[in-house]
Amino acid sequence: MGTHTPGPSRRSFLFTVAAGAGALAAPSVLAGCESDSAKKTGGTSTSELAKILPAYVPSTLVPPDIPSANGSDPGYLKYPTDQITTVPEAPGAGGSYTAITPLWGAIPSAKGNKYYEAMNAAFGASLAMKPANGNTYGDVLPTLFTGDKLPDWIDIPSWNTTNLNFGSAVEAKFVDLTPFLSGDNVKKYPNLANVPSNAWQAGVWNGKLFGIPVYPSNVVLAGAIFYRQDMFEKAGIAEPKSADELFEAGKALTDPKKKVWGFDDLWTYLAQPFDIPFKWAIDSSDKLVHKYETEEIIQALEFMRKIVAAELIHPDALAGNTNETKQRFTSGKIAMYGDGTGAWGGMVEQQDLAGDTVFKMQAMQPFTASGTGTPRYALGNGASMFSYLNKKLNKAQIEECLRLANYIAAPFGSAEYTLVNFGPADVTHTMEANGPKLTKTGEKQVATTYQFLATAPSVTSKPGYEDWVRTYCDWHAKAGATAYKPVFYGMNITEPQQYSSIGQPVEDTITDVCRNRKSIDDFKKAVDTWRRNGGDALRDFYTGIREQYGTGQ
Amino acid sequence: MAEDTGTLPDQVVPTRDPASENGSGSPGSADPGAADVPDLDAPPERRWTWRTRLWRDKSLLIMTAPAVLLLVVFNYIPMFGSVVAFQYYDIYNGFRNSPFIGLDNFERLFRDPNFWMALENTLTISAVQLILYFPVPIALALMLNSLMSTKLRSFVQSVVYLPHFFSWVLVVTIFQQMLGGAGLVNTLLRNGGLPTIDIMTDPDTFALLVTSQAVWKEAGWGIIVFLAALAAIDPTLYEAAAVDGASRWRRTWHITLPGIRGVIVLMLVLRLGNALTVGFEQMLIQRKAVGFQASEVLDTFSYYYGVVTSDFGYGAAAGLFKGVLSMILIIGANKLAHAFGEDGLYRR
Repeated sequence: MGTHTPGPSRRSFLFTVAAGAGALAAPSVLAGCESDSAKKTGGTSTSELAKILPAYVPSTLVPPDIPSANGSDPGYLKYPTDQITTVPEAPGAGGSYTAITPLWGAIPSAKGNKYYEAMNAAFGASLAMKPANGNTYGDVLPTLFTGDKLPDWIDIPSWNTTNLNFGSAVEAKFVDLTPFLSGDNVKKYPNLANVPSNAWQAGVWNGKLFGIPVYPSNVVLAGAIFYRQDMFEKAGIAEPKSADELFEAGKALTDPKKKVWGFDDLWTYLAQPFDIPFKWAIDSSDKLVHKYETEEIIQALEFMRKIVAAELIHPDALAGNTNETKQRFTSGKIAMYGDGTGAWGGMVEQQDLAGDTVFKMQAMQPFTASGTGTPRYALGNGASMFSYLNKKLNKAQIEECLRLANYIAAPFGSAEYTLVNFGPADVTHTMEANGPKLTKTGEKQVATTYQFLATAPSVTSKPGYEDWVRTYCDWHAKAGATAYKPVFYGMNITEPQQYSSIGQPVEDTITDVCRNRKSIDDFKKAVDTWRRNGGDALRDFYTGIREQYGTGQ
Repeated sequence: MAEDTGTLPDQVVPTRDPASENGSGSPGSADPGAADVPDLDAPPERRWTWRTRLWRDKSLLIMTAPAVLLLVVFNYIPMFGSVVAFQYYDIYNGFRNSPFIGLDNFERLFRDPNFWMALENTLTISAVQLILYFPVPIALALMLNSLMSTKLRSFVQSVVYLPHFFSWVLVVTIFQQMLGGAGLVNTLLRNGGLPTIDIMTDPDTFALLVTSQAVWKEAGWGIIVFLAALAAIDPTLYEAAAVDGASRWRRTWHITLPGIRGVIVLMLVLRLGNALTVGFEQMLIQRKAVGFQASEVLDTFSYYYGVVTSDFGYGAAAGLFKGVLSMILIIGANKLAHAFGEDGLYRR
């Protein structure tokens, strides 16, 4: 049995900060849309949330080499060789289930798949995985819902639920997990109890817990501006600490005759330095303002216009070619670009394997555009995907599936973790000095599938790249220190459908303004139109939510 | 179109092989004005009953069956999905349970300036393509047809066909690599100390850019139909004309072009029916490069306002509007073709 270290429950702490998670019934402002108000999209109050969230009982099997700081993911320099069993008995009761998960990559054949076979043997149950193409996952969901073809267990990413009326669908189709997992009930499933409460929070709909968090983390950040440290060092430039320094660094590194430009399209990643709100913010008169209406976005637009006018952005990036962004960066055609934090490790490894000894990649620490004051970074939800169980399952089946989830969510350092991520030893992976390495069979048969049903809290580990693990953990901890919870953090809010497309013209105008094809005034006009077309109504909608359930901060 | 022969007036004997009639050149068949004469009489008497005609054409019908089946499955059945245009469509409820809202989506659509902008762009790009793209395959076919060496001809043909098989991503990338800000041309200019030229990101010349991309990619493929039409022209006509001392230019003008006129008109009618489809991927890929004001067409409008923002009913309304407009265009073009005495899509 594992070395569970029961820590103090953070539940009580979270109750005070968690203001409520849940989609809301359309308030009176939406009376124009009768059909919407009839839909079940009720919210969750703070006191309700207290009864819903599972207890948090952290368990660390192997002490990390780099402990978590400011909520950052703990780092491991080496892959643990002493693997601990956390689920001593086969969790299954011989049941047979199907599951659909998104997969970004080649879909392995289920026939003769040693990985699937080993998992089912370990489960003592049959869980048939049916991964579907992640890029078109949103297109597959409707047919599953309307055709009543939902599997027993399904992963649904949060980006497929924001604009849609998921709040009512979730009640009709999926199991309310509250009676099984809330409070101390979760202790029957110790690996699920190891999932922090802020991750569970975003799985709550209409005052009930429906979703099991996938890849939970305490510090989910939208990404960072990465730079080529080697190019910076060569040119004698330090990491920028303000918008002006960023501009100067780009200017110094741009040399079109050598086909080198300072930047790729940075727009999305200027949100941090310029402090553009995530979506809504509260202004000095205590009113909700949308990010489009802030002074910050105007300043960011002006900065973009400045670097475009100075021709510091790679022309292909301006032409909208995003496929080759990474290649431009690795080949030194650009010195800086913005990306998700997940891209970092993979690129370092890829360049190392390609024998590139020059390449040095670093992420900028959060900074302020003015260079003064304290930088801050909007925190993302504790998990951005959740898995749901089909309502057709009976109580015994639900409990069996939760025991399987408990197995899959075994933390780093456990034998289960290795099996879930690398398949059976000596068949799909071999244990090498640096950790498990997929065999030829493994490369074909092992894919990220079970992890999209339940996952242990994220850790930073890249066997063989100790320096990178140190760098990443350091960055993550420092950036984590600047993290703040944005307005409506962790709350599932289904927006009224008739306003879902009003932002599109504004986004299109932003692209044009950034490229100096339109003026800042055009942007302001587009925002005025946005307000008239429903932006103000959306504000009323969100104000109603704020009054009833708080802001989640 | 063997079925149509049944509607021909009595004095025209239905032929078993309509192809030979087409093949003999349009000049003969191009005056169906004679068909108007019996209008004064009683309605045309059918020579064969429906059943015998069915029996007569059975092999042709069987041959078309697979294509018809594909059309039904992939084109006609999905058409019922257009019902979404009249709903607040919600993927989790499906079109059976989503609330009906009548014409609300269309009302919104017609009030939306961005929609009219998309329509205007579509028509502009379509007009530019009609003028600059449509004649290119015809000219190419005429040039190829005049090449004597069959080896050289098939070589040139293969070369110009090839780009058709490239994806739009690849085509746009090639253009970007050659003409983009970091491309070959501008790098040469820059190294020569000359000012660079902005081709790929200039919204004002975008219609020309997409047309030249379309020409590069599709013109070669477009010549197939015209080459087939050229091959069907009776060579004795050329010989006779040459004997009479007709110059090459006069032969082209008086024999070749009239010989392929029917096909040109048919292609033009089809082109007009497709006038509102001006290249979805092409616009999507280059949207950021030139901005939405130059590149938003009806198809991308449907995509961005329907799929991307999950406002499916709205996007479907825009798509349905486009479908109806295309239908009107194709019927109109066909009527126009008939008015000029051409066959159009079918023989009247």
